[in-house]
Amino acid sequence: MLTRPNTHFSELGIKAIEKGLADPAVSAFYDSIMSTDADQIQQCMRPFLPRLSLCSDKMPGNAPPPIFYVGKESGQRHLFGEDWASPATPTFGLRTPDPDLEHASADGYRKALEGTPYYGYARTKIQVNGELFEIAFERLIVAVRPSLQSDLRFCAYLGVIQDLQRTF
Amino acid sequence: MHYEFLKRLDSYVPEHVQPVPAVPANLKDAIDAANLTEMWDMILTLDYSVSDPGDLTPEKRDEFLNVMSLLLKAFDR
Repeated sequence: MLTRPNTHFSELGIKAIEKGLADPAVSAFYDSIMSTDADQIQQCMRPFLPRLSLCSDKMPGNAPPPIFYVGKESGQRHLFGEDWASPATPTFGLRTPDPDLEHASADGYRKALEGTPYYGYARTKIQVNGELFEIAFERLIVAVRPSLQSDLRFCAYLGVIQDLQRTF
Repeated sequence: MHYEFLKRLDSYVPEHVQPVPAVPANLKDAIDAANLTEMWDMILTLDYSVSDPGDLTPEKRDEFLNVMSLLLKAFDR
């Protein structure tokens, strides 16, 4: 019997997007970001915003940056729910509610913040509200500035859930 | 006597009129102090299609202000 690890994260690289191997939404966002002048970045993001999550460029303790915006149609809102995505009284920056997933996903953010868009695939088990799921998803993370002159950076994350199965 | 009655009418707020909470000045001040004004403007314009949170419905304004609270915490050094 074949066995496989419970968690698998791998970088596919932006060449995979350029070869047409990525999900069309990922590909469209990547093409748009890469072909847009830096002073038009906000207009470029507008049509994709509902599917994006945005987070800061701070990685305290090598953890992924805290999330501050979760698009209405984003994979994270779909997966973790409205109460997580839009807390009524936010006390902390948002973090993925599964600590293992949080830890495993940090590398992608680090690479994006080093200057190269990160495109990768992941398959892992996650716990959501006490229930266990196996999830497979691809994700693109890019670090952008809100304007050409800005010294501020943030990460835009577009995740596409490929498979989601409840496990027992 | 009649004037007293009219005064009370003036202070009456009909049930169907919802109070409009102002944008907390301390939140906007904190956003400005943290150099996050561009992010405030960007999300307000791109997602909410207004330039002033006062133009939003109370529900949308609360939602936007919660995002801004998260923004402040996410960039907290």
